[in-house]
Amino acid sequence: MIEVRELRKSYGGVEAVRGVSFGAETGSVLGLLGPNGAGKTTIMKVLTGYHYPSGGTALVDGIDVAEDPIAVKRRVGYLPESVPLYQDLTTSEYLDFAADARGLEGAARTAAIDRAVERCGLGHVRRKRVEELSKGYKQRLGLAQAILHDPPILILDEPTTGLDPNQIIEIRALIRSLGQSKTVLLSTHILQEVEAICSSVIILNEGRVAAQGAPSEIGEALKGEERLRLRLKAPKGLDQARLSGIPGLRSVSSFHAEGAGVWAAEVAMQPSGAAAEAGPGEAGEAVFDWAVASGIKVLELERRRLSLEEIFVKLTQEGEGK
Amino acid sequence: MKNVLAIAKRELRSSFNSPIAYAVILGFLLFTSVWLYFVDGFYAAGQADLRGYFSMMPLVLVFLAPALTMRSWAEERRLGTYELLLTLPFTEGQLVAGKYLASLALAAIAFALTIPVPLAASLLGSFDAGVLAAQYLGIFLEAAAALAIGQCISSYSKNQVTAFLVSALALLVLVLVDKPVRFLSLGGAAAAFFNWLSLSFHYDSFSRGVVDTRDLAYFASTSVLFLYLAAWGMTRRKWS
Repeated sequence: MIEVRELRKSYGGVEAVRGVSFGAETGSVLGLLGPNGAGKTTIMKVLTGYHYPSGGTALVDGIDVAEDPIAVKRRVGYLPESVPLYQDLTTSEYLDFAADARGLEGAARTAAIDRAVERCGLGHVRRKRVEELSKGYKQRLGLAQAILHDPPILILDEPTTGLDPNQIIEIRALIRSLGQSKTVLLSTHILQEVEAICSSVIILNEGRVAAQGAPSEIGEALKGEERLRLRLKAPKGLDQARLSGIPGLRSVSSFHAEGAGVWAAEVAMQPSGAAAEAGPGEAGEAVFDWAVASGIKVLELERRRLSLEEIFVKLTQEGEGK
Repeated sequence: MKNVLAIAKRELRSSFNSPIAYAVILGFLLFTSVWLYFVDGFYAAGQADLRGYFSMMPLVLVFLAPALTMRSWAEERRLGTYELLLTLPFTEGQLVAGKYLASLALAAIAFALTIPVPLAASLLGSFDAGVLAAQYLGIFLEAAAALAIGQCISSYSKNQVTAFLVSALALLVLVLVDKPVRFLSLGGAAAAFFNWLSLSFHYDSFSRGVVDTRDLAYFASTSVLFLYLAAWGMTRRKWS
């Protein structure tokens, strides 16, 4: 369990984190999302006891990081963004050091190392030196170090950077399965990653929380409107002005002829409230009614979900506008 | 203690996996041997005396100690492993002590490998084992202080070249600071101060076979002071 209250951190006069609060429960994967310099890494560095907060509190399993950093570090597995490894050690020597650092001994130690090696797929590089490993293996070794002692809290700073698509899928699956029994906090600037593995997400911008909630909730909250993509067939011709006849129409964002008597349009509708589920809801109905009344055929109607990408841009630009 | 040993073990493994430790120790042995047989003229003197051999050790340490400690923290910073170490359940004191222990071990290995020199010399004449023991104790204690200074400087350095140069310069000053006392025939408080400050002054009595508690206290307190400064700086950076 992680709890952060009104956290502030400044480095030599520059405020990297300005009053951030959030919580993460056991059995969840919380994603920190934001552009570079939004404060993601700083929050992680505070939670891992690398930096102490300038204000506010950071609690890990109820323990204040600034008060008992060692107890916190014992509970946390951390993969820093830079994936720090000792180049002149072999994979096993590195894990051996991590096991020493975690005070693992005897059978538990062997079991822990074997489990981490297996989960991260490091079996055939055990005797290789770190400097000879590929980027993907280095990343996995870093992750193996982080999960070695089976920590209740896992903090991963951009865990999939530099991996190829197959490796990304593997690592994401691993994180998802770890997230079932642990508290996982990960940072990323890849939006699909949040949608793929996070149970909740915090969007950070300039050291503040810009939005938080489940990935789908954030989409809903920000939408405030529903977008529909339409393909319409109108044998008698159609112009943009006639679209304003659609009940509940807010704006037309694109409109163009596609061929003989066929037009493509994208429209924004008034939010239809709770009915906004997977398929086109009331807004879609309104379009159909309007089309029938106007002698137009609806060839296609697709409800466009605002992607996190768009939300992200929207939020961060709003932040800059202030 | 287990944590300190874990850090020391990691340090030594890295050292012996890379050619640097071997190169430094080999360089040390070569230089001191060349000095003994060619520069100091051990055979020419026709006397089984290793005073010359041991009296140049402070100067050799000016280079040996920084070579052993330059990487300690500067390299961790470059690799980013500094962040790893500080987020593992170690205290700053344990980190500094672990690294210190590893550097002491390397220095002890280097000195142990010089033992054939007095052994060979003992074939030529009789030696006072007590004096020899004092000489080794002295050089080890001086190395202990120099390694603490070196680690402290490395902990404040961004790269190992800077760490080496600054440490070597600092040690050179500390080794030579008592020399003006003789050249300028200083007296009184000034002489006492410069002598007290000097690494080589405190080593001198050991090289004559005398173990003085004041010298022991000097080396011990210098070591502790600089190790403390290294750990203090690390803790302080967490707040800034």
